[in-house]
Amino acid sequence: MISFGKASRAPQATGDAFDEEFLKKLEYLYIVSQKIAAGQRRAKRRTRLVGSGIDFADHRHYTHGDDVRNLDWRVYSRTEKLFLKLYEEEEDLFIYFLLDNSRSMHLGTPNKWSMVRKVAAALAYIGLSNMDRVSLVPFSSTVDNRLPPSRGKAQIFKIFDFLDRCEPGEQTTLQSAFKTFVGQNKRPGLVVVLSDFYDPSGFEEGINVLRYHRFEPLIIHLFDERELDFSLQGELELVDCETGEVRQLTVTPAMVRAYEKEFRAFCDELETFCTQRQLLYFRAALQESFEELVLRIFRAGGFLS
Amino acid sequence: MQWTGLPIETVGWMAAGAALIITLLYLLKFRKRSVEIPFSPLWGRVIATRRKQSDWWRRLKRLLSWLLHLLIAGLLLFAMLGPRSTDEVLDGRHLLILIDNSASMGATDVTGGVNRLDVAQRQAREILQTVGGDDRVMVALFNNRVQPLGPFVDDATLLESALRNVEVTANPTDLAQALSFAAHSLQDRPDAELIILSDGSGFDPEMPLPFDPDLGISLRHIMIGEASENLAITAFNARRYPSNRLDHELYVEVTSHFDREVSTRLDISADGRLVDSRTIDLGPREVHRQFYPGQAVAGERLEARIRLTTADARDVFPLDDRAYATVPPPRRLSVQLVSPGNLFIEGPLLLNSHIDFDRVHPDAFDSTASRDVFVFDRFAPESLPDGDLLFFDPPAEGSPFEISGRDDDPILTDVRQSHPLMRWISLSDLNIGSTSTFRRGSDDVDVASTFGRTVILARDDGTRRMVALGFDVRNSDFPLRVAFPVFMLNVLDYFAQDDVDLMYSFATGETWSIPIDRSVTGAEMVRPDGTRAPVALHAGEALFYGEQPGFYELHTTHADGTDRTLLAANLTNPDESEITPRLIEWEEIPTAEDTSGLLFDRREIWISLLLAAMALLFLEWTTYQRRWTE
Repeated sequence: MISFGKASRAPQATGDAFDEEFLKKLEYLYIVSQKIAAGQRRAKRRTRLVGSGIDFADHRHYTHGDDVRNLDWRVYSRTEKLFLKLYEEEEDLFIYFLLDNSRSMHLGTPNKWSMVRKVAAALAYIGLSNMDRVSLVPFSSTVDNRLPPSRGKAQIFKIFDFLDRCEPGEQTTLQSAFKTFVGQNKRPGLVVVLSDFYDPSGFEEGINVLRYHRFEPLIIHLFDERELDFSLQGELELVDCETGEVRQLTVTPAMVRAYEKEFRAFCDELETFCTQRQLLYFRAALQESFEELVLRIFRAGGFLS
Repeated sequence: MQWTGLPIETVGWMAAGAALIITLLYLLKFRKRSVEIPFSPLWGRVIATRRKQSDWWRRLKRLLSWLLHLLIAGLLLFAMLGPRSTDEVLDGRHLLILIDNSASMGATDVTGGVNRLDVAQRQAREILQTVGGDDRVMVALFNNRVQPLGPFVDDATLLESALRNVEVTANPTDLAQALSFAAHSLQDRPDAELIILSDGSGFDPEMPLPFDPDLGISLRHIMIGEASENLAITAFNARRYPSNRLDHELYVEVTSHFDREVSTRLDISADGRLVDSRTIDLGPREVHRQFYPGQAVAGERLEARIRLTTADARDVFPLDDRAYATVPPPRRLSVQLVSPGNLFIEGPLLLNSHIDFDRVHPDAFDSTASRDVFVFDRFAPESLPDGDLLFFDPPAEGSPFEISGRDDDPILTDVRQSHPLMRWISLSDLNIGSTSTFRRGSDDVDVASTFGRTVILARDDGTRRMVALGFDVRNSDFPLRVAFPVFMLNVLDYFAQDDVDLMYSFATGETWSIPIDRSVTGAEMVRPDGTRAPVALHAGEALFYGEQPGFYELHTTHADGTDRTLLAANLTNPDESEITPRLIEWEEIPTAEDTSGLLFDRREIWISLLLAAMALLFLEWTTYQRRWTE
């Protein structure tokens, strides 16, 4: 059972340090990620943009204003039509980590925030190792703070330091926070959202904001198994740790079963939403090791491909 | 409805207090524990689903717990009032319960118990458990004596514990004594009732009513027992032959209380070894007598036992199926004849194989010699030796007997036939040529005399016994008679105090008087079950009250050491063996025959109320834990 204890607005310290041991784990995960990626593409990430690169990508009809140096004369000789040769343009991939820093992520010991820190650090390390630009954006009701995009392995310590300094935010409002995010970040890229998605107004609008602004969301849904094993029964005063909303009720075994059913329905709604929109969705329990989760993400291929 | 518990006012105040406390606790119960959760809208969905239940049902569920608590408190308070049915009798009575624990109560012809006494004990316990709060009860046991377990008490539990130790005795029944005790105990007591738990053994219809019918004493006889079929040993004796003190004969009497023919096996064993076994067919109510003449049995513990062999018959009273008898080993005497020569005297002594005999001439007599018996023929030593002494025609000089004169051709006019010396013999027409006559002392008994002058004298001074005959047997026809050797045996038995009839056999339930030597300083009895008990000594007798059939050992202590005497005790009481249940009744007063009207139907309502409260408490706890109630 989750040991919620008395309602408190103060977040609890995670106590998980980014030490040398943790760094070794990240290096190990990086090596594993390289092996998983082998056979797919050894090159760095490329955008879908077509521009002035070296590798041929496609043809398109010539229009006024196009650079005539890119006309494909061989095609013109065969078809007497002007086609322009297009090349893949290499550019850095932007990976944004949207980290839910609301109070619900800091509830209990251990809490979901500790999991968020480790998973975000691991994925960020791999991204940095792949010379991608990695940015961390904690959010709750809005974007609280942000670590600007940075590249190179050496930046991992800056990420550690940033994660350590993050203070708990307020309640979760995905739509508001993500609107702020897309307003601040014009370069599209991969957006890894780590959250429990406990937004009273729903998660759909928030995720759609990312999609509509050409970001590629990768959803990592975190939950605590202790929330399902709700063994406290009797006359209870349930206090929402984010909104402070109080609900007085007599909890019976039937109600606990109903709660479990509602929780699973909530998870299924989120998964169905993501699946229907071809978004990668990962659900992870707090009790699962973060290495397992990271490897699961690698195997799914969404992060490395 | 009657109230025997706390006063109604007190309970009313307690009820008000309890209701207040319960209500406060009920309200306090609604103080909810505060729990922080991550996302309340999920619980909101749950609550929305639950709200489909109707409001009145939810309110009822909340109230149900409070109502249950109020009901529990109400039940407990109601129990405190001690409610009783209106028809219960609460006036105090004086009940005397007489429980028969005589031998016949050991019969096993009962259902619901091991034997009759067991059933009687159950009945007594049932009565004690249902007596009213104001009743006074006394319980007394009776057999051939009455033993109250205590005075009249109002706390029956004291009597119940005493009842557990009651056992069947092997004693006969003295119902008259028990009824007399009851009459005196119940005299002048209001609402007195005599309850007899007995099989009616010992009741004689001719027996008068032991109390005045106008005293208002109610009589109730709860008759215990169902059958009368019993086979009993009603007599078992052993007797030595006078002529052969090593041999003895047995007598067994077997009584059938069956109304049909039955067969039984009669076993005789000595010191645990079976020496005879025979089958006896008995007619209805037949008394069979069996002699065992010349039973040369080596052993002193004789036991007779009967076993019913008729297949479909059952002997319901086992206590009288065994009987015991003793044959103490004869005492072997050392006898010295001091005589210049007399074959008439020497003959019977030589032929007696149970004595150690020797003869010396008077000139060679040593008064310091140690013998049990000295026989002086026409001789009297200057100093008397230790031991018992027999004198034939003692001379006046040196004789311990004072000779008053001498008669020629005397005729024995007075013979004390009851004296042990004269047993089985007759001295009529005894021809004596000449005899001395003795002057009797204070310790002397005149056994035979001629016109008031003593011819044969016996003396017992407490330390030794002496017998004197005033004539020379050679100068009479006494040695020529059959009586002479018998007389010699009688003399030796008299000296040895080894009476052929002295085979100790006693009846249980009596105080036994066992003759002992006056020099005995202490005595102890070992019962058949091995337990020991001190024995009272009085005037040369050991007094002991024996209740168990079997063999007893009397250990006596005196200056020279200790002696052991074996005794046998038997029920062998034809009245007790007649176990047919009989109703004790008189014409003067009615006799109730069961417990109707005696036992209170004590409906302890408070117990039911308490149990109901506990059940409700458990129900409330269960429903609350399962959240059926809120």
